[in-house]
Amino acid sequence: MKFDGYDLDAGVYDELFRSDGTPRSHGRDLYETLLEASDDDMNAIGEWVTRSFTHEGITFTVYGDDEADERIIPIDCIPRVMAGAEWRGLARGLEQRLAALNAFLRDIYDSARIVSDGVIPPDMVFGCPQYRIEMQGFEAPRGIWVAICGTDLVRTVDGFRVLEDNLRVPSGVSYMIAIRKATKSAMRLLYRRSRVGAVEDYGLVLRRTLHEMAPEGCDDPTVVLLTPGVYNSAFYEHMFLARQIGAELVEGRDLVVEDGYVYMRTTAGLRRVDVIYRRIDDDFLDPLVFRPDSLLGAPGLLHAARLSNVSVVNAPGTGVADDKSVYAFVPDMIRYYLAEEPLIPNVETYLCRRPEDLEYTLDNLEHLVVKRVGESGGYGMLVGPHASAEERNRFASLLRQDPADFVAQPTLALSRAPCLIDGRLEPRHVDLRPFILSGGETRIVPGAFCRIAMRRGSLVVNSSQGGGAKDFWVLEEG
Amino acid sequence: MLARSAESLYWIGRYLERASHLARLMRQQTESLVDSPVRDIYFGWHRIYGTLGRRPHTGPLDTEGDEYYTLADSFTLADDLTFEATMPDSIRNCFSLARENARQVRHRISAEMWASLNRPYLRLRDMEIQDIWASTPEQFYANVEADIDTFRGVSSSTMYRDQGWHFIRMGSLLERAELVASVLGAQIAAVRLFAVPADAYWTSLLRLFHAFEAYQQGDGLAIDAGRVLDLLVSDPHLPDSLSMSVLGLHRELSAIGDGPDRTATSQARSQVDHMSDLLRFVWPRTSDAEGLFAEFRIAGRRLHDLVTETYFDYPVVTRSARIGEFDQ
Repeated sequence: MKFDGYDLDAGVYDELFRSDGTPRSHGRDLYETLLEASDDDMNAIGEWVTRSFTHEGITFTVYGDDEADERIIPIDCIPRVMAGAEWRGLARGLEQRLAALNAFLRDIYDSARIVSDGVIPPDMVFGCPQYRIEMQGFEAPRGIWVAICGTDLVRTVDGFRVLEDNLRVPSGVSYMIAIRKATKSAMRLLYRRSRVGAVEDYGLVLRRTLHEMAPEGCDDPTVVLLTPGVYNSAFYEHMFLARQIGAELVEGRDLVVEDGYVYMRTTAGLRRVDVIYRRIDDDFLDPLVFRPDSLLGAPGLLHAARLSNVSVVNAPGTGVADDKSVYAFVPDMIRYYLAEEPLIPNVETYLCRRPEDLEYTLDNLEHLVVKRVGESGGYGMLVGPHASAEERNRFASLLRQDPADFVAQPTLALSRAPCLIDGRLEPRHVDLRPFILSGGETRIVPGAFCRIAMRRGSLVVNSSQGGGAKDFWVLEEG
Repeated sequence: MLARSAESLYWIGRYLERASHLARLMRQQTESLVDSPVRDIYFGWHRIYGTLGRRPHTGPLDTEGDEYYTLADSFTLADDLTFEATMPDSIRNCFSLARENARQVRHRISAEMWASLNRPYLRLRDMEIQDIWASTPEQFYANVEADIDTFRGVSSSTMYRDQGWHFIRMGSLLERAELVASVLGAQIAAVRLFAVPADAYWTSLLRLFHAFEAYQQGDGLAIDAGRVLDLLVSDPHLPDSLSMSVLGLHRELSAIGDGPDRTATSQARSQVDHMSDLLRFVWPRTSDAEGLFAEFRIAGRRLHDLVTETYFDYPVVTRSARIGEFDQ
């Protein structure tokens, strides 16, 4: 295949090429493989990868006006590669960040020293809709509120930055593994040569983490994965992970709480549950504590968790720490709790609740990305440079109406990686979501869910907005 | 295992058995469209709809037409039974429901099982009757049967033999028992309606259940309705015989073990005994075969209810609920 038409941009980091157009040293094998492959071969590989996803039913659900549609995520067959040394540096930064976030959660649901010490304003924490007053005084197992974290990283010419921490129910890890399986078969010779870090044992690592999170004294815990059900957009992932960790995939209606213990309905009667890996939001977990109209959770679940009779992973109330406003304070948390400098910086963030930040945002809308603090998945977002004047005006009036509901960030030139688009090699913007697990110790498998903005020039990588994904290889040296 | 997962697995067994059964009936029926007399074709349609306990929407079976109308009617009826969205037992609906149940328990079945169910589902999802009618519809139905056979084979060689396996088997066997009894009842009714003791009707029944060769091994060349029915009811070696299904139900129920309520479990087991008694003791003496098949089907439906109450949907009385009752 030829790279003609693969244009490099001095302001954008390319994952495969240096700015002078030569391949990076860890990407040389991939570059040569692509160069040697015929167009027909590569297209056949691309089609095969897509077909394997269709046949295996690796789908996510998109809800339209009328009905739910089972779709497959567009998969690109060309892996993104990273040198092992660089990965290890990132992993240390991710570990550091999660340690600080867990310390923050322990603190704010206890004495909230960070607030009384003036590091973060009280209304940012206690006024955050994701702060669950019901969780005050709760003691998370091992003090770990977030055992499973998916952190969104982006790379610019200045290096990696954290774009977002996903601390509630991060998704995408099943795609990491499924895409690896498909890409590995499609690029078998290159894979064999490349000494790629394995992601396939993520299930075992997750299982170990969940076992470590079991209530004290419980040596052989019964673990379940709690799903909202088959109509949830991430149901494939729930099923996939349940299988990987050998857990029952339960819905709220399968659970019964009695005398402060949680049980599931089995064919032989009620069986006690020790660890719940929940994939439903806080609001729906327990109608006695959160939303009373929820049918997805189990009444009394929180009571059982408070008694430490069951571990709920991640703990309810973690959403406050991945709120888009609180995000701006994570570097301060690292300094405050760990007395360290952040290894991976944040993206500069303007909190529109501050008059000076609001003014700056309104004056620079055409350069900024504006996000609603409570939204995710690419919804409720304005990408200034790509928006029409009309959209910008609409957002400006929304900003004036409720500034505290918004944050703004500079539009980042996300790095690009080669993708097979309509039979040609073209650069597309990508991000990276590694998964960090924290139980008895912190573990990170060398891989990530790498999302792609499929449209040329687009920066939106979210699957719900038509984004795709590709494999991500961490290459060991030697 | 989780009660809801067990129920989904049980329904996978039931729906695929239903789809397989209907595909088999349809293959035979579409084969008969090539060379059978119009009367035989109408007989075939009566038997199929009788089996399902339904009447076709437009009622083309009320009058026998000429060749032209027969084929046009057949096109409509085949569409109804194969693709019609509002027909709960259509082949496509059975596949969709089996697949939907499998989707809920994908972590409980092997990846190969899922793939062998998902592929034919995707193919069927986008097809219409015109796609199969223009060429060889009988081949289409044969392929559906082969797809389900593949799923069974893949299940047999890849699925862990835990309770889940036994629930799939139980669903399949109970569905088979009910459907075979239903076909036998519909056969007798259709023969009575057409009032012609044609051997062809009975040989087609034997072929439907892969029993023609077994029948031939017995004495004489003559096709005797009583002997045909006897073979399909009580032959201990014929996979589709009612006796084989009941024997299988015994086996699966005992492999599954007790539900939370011992009394409910023993009621379910007694119900299988009752079905067995109907075949062993009532069948040889009955003068009303059609009535016996109807009774057998009712017994099957009762067994389904008992299985549901024993393993899937048993009452759970929690302490809080008990306190609530006391307060009232």
